[in-house]
Amino acid sequence: MASGAVLPRLLGSGVRAAPRGRAAPRGRTLGSAAAAAAPEPERDSDFSARILSEPLKHSDFFNVKELFSVRSLFNARVHLGHKAGCRHRFMEPYIFGSRLGQDIIDLEQTATHLQLALNFTAHVAYRGGIILFVSRARQFSHLIENTARSCGEYAHTRYFKGGLLTNAPLLLGPQVRLPDLIIFLHTLNNVFEPHVAVRDAAKMNIPTVGIVDTNCNPCLITYPVPGNDDSPPAVQLFCRLFQTAVTRAKEKRRQLEALYRLQGAPGPHPANPASPGVQAGLGLGVAP
Amino acid sequence: MAGSRLETVGSVFTRTRDLIRAGVLKEKPLWFDIYNAFPPLRDPVFRRPRLRYGKAKSPTQDIFYREDQIRAKFYSAYGSGPKAFDLFNPNFKSTCERFVEKYIELQKLGETDEEKLFVEAGKALLAEGVILRRLEKARTQQEGSQVSRKSEPMGVESQTALEENPPLKEVPQPQDLEAPGEESKGLSPP
Repeated sequence: MASGAVLPRLLGSGVRAAPRGRAAPRGRTLGSAAAAAAPEPERDSDFSARILSEPLKHSDFFNVKELFSVRSLFNARVHLGHKAGCRHRFMEPYIFGSRLGQDIIDLEQTATHLQLALNFTAHVAYRGGIILFVSRARQFSHLIENTARSCGEYAHTRYFKGGLLTNAPLLLGPQVRLPDLIIFLHTLNNVFEPHVAVRDAAKMNIPTVGIVDTNCNPCLITYPVPGNDDSPPAVQLFCRLFQTAVTRAKEKRRQLEALYRLQGAPGPHPANPASPGVQAGLGLGVAP
Repeated sequence: MAGSRLETVGSVFTRTRDLIRAGVLKEKPLWFDIYNAFPPLRDPVFRRPRLRYGKAKSPTQDIFYREDQIRAKFYSAYGSGPKAFDLFNPNFKSTCERFVEKYIELQKLGETDEEKLFVEAGKALLAEGVILRRLEKARTQQEGSQVSRKSEPMGVESQTALEENPPLKEVPQPQDLEAPGEESKGLSPP
């Protein structure tokens, strides 16, 4: 079955990415990068610390603000919520009002929340974190799987087996690296109950980003984004935004590492034309 | 690896921070520094959803505009306009929308009488080539409840009182003035 095949194959690759002092490079590019990047201890740790700490000093290092606007959210129908009877009590602060019984989500708040969420996603991707896209809406499962594949991350849009996160060593094999961020395109499952992964991610101390509609519970989600999760234009917009954020962050990381390689090492590893070239080539190949 | 699975106790961040401080969790997780630098607007702490009891109502407001009164009169007089709604076009203007624009223009010019404004706006649209056909029986919410009332056996009087109250509350002010008039018109014929 798809879920059984996808997870061990992809999460299993985390085993090869041996965590060093800093987050390991992506599983896919591991072949060349690991071979080329044999660390020179002091300079390496100094530069790696700089690479990791520098982005945190800027409020919007990856410039995610320019990816969307309130107008573009409106055009994608992100502001449309469910009927007033379906409203969840904890979504009330995010609702602008109710027009003839249909809840309208406050897009100003959505914009701020979305900016925080995209920024967090980008930083996690920058540090080589594993991102898992989760959704149980069958209408969008193909779109979400393609989104995940195109940005080199993972998706789980099938039946979520109990214990997948909480009992991972048993179900997925020993020494599996769990996701560092879980993105929910739909927080509810097919019977309109909160997806099990929301609670399980909180249990396993994994931060979550989630699109919460007016009938969802935003409490346990670390970075909720109030918005419509039922209209195709809205879900397509969100997929595009997350994909762009992740791709940008990874590209930035490749650039900074290449820069360091060109600047840094005159000694045993002269600016090796092969590795930055290979990395740049891979970057150009993977980036949309 | 150590961890705390108490999702109802604090947020993911507070639990991890305390585990690190206690020395139980040796390695800082990847997301820790990022969360520290860019915390969310609200701490993701678990809260139990409680039901609202008695007269407590949710603070969400209804969204109504001044133009809604004009729209209500238009729809009760003419039904939905002659042109079908094209929802694919984001800049689509329905007949009702054009009527409302004309109405407001005339209102800005200084007219105050609502009946007159209504008629003038209708004439202005006619001048532009839009033909509005009045409905045979002017349709209102009160009418709707009356029809259902007549079809029920006359003995059920308590239900009619209940039916009357909700439409009266929802319908905006000018409709209230029209409604008693409509009621007497409706009752007299048969």
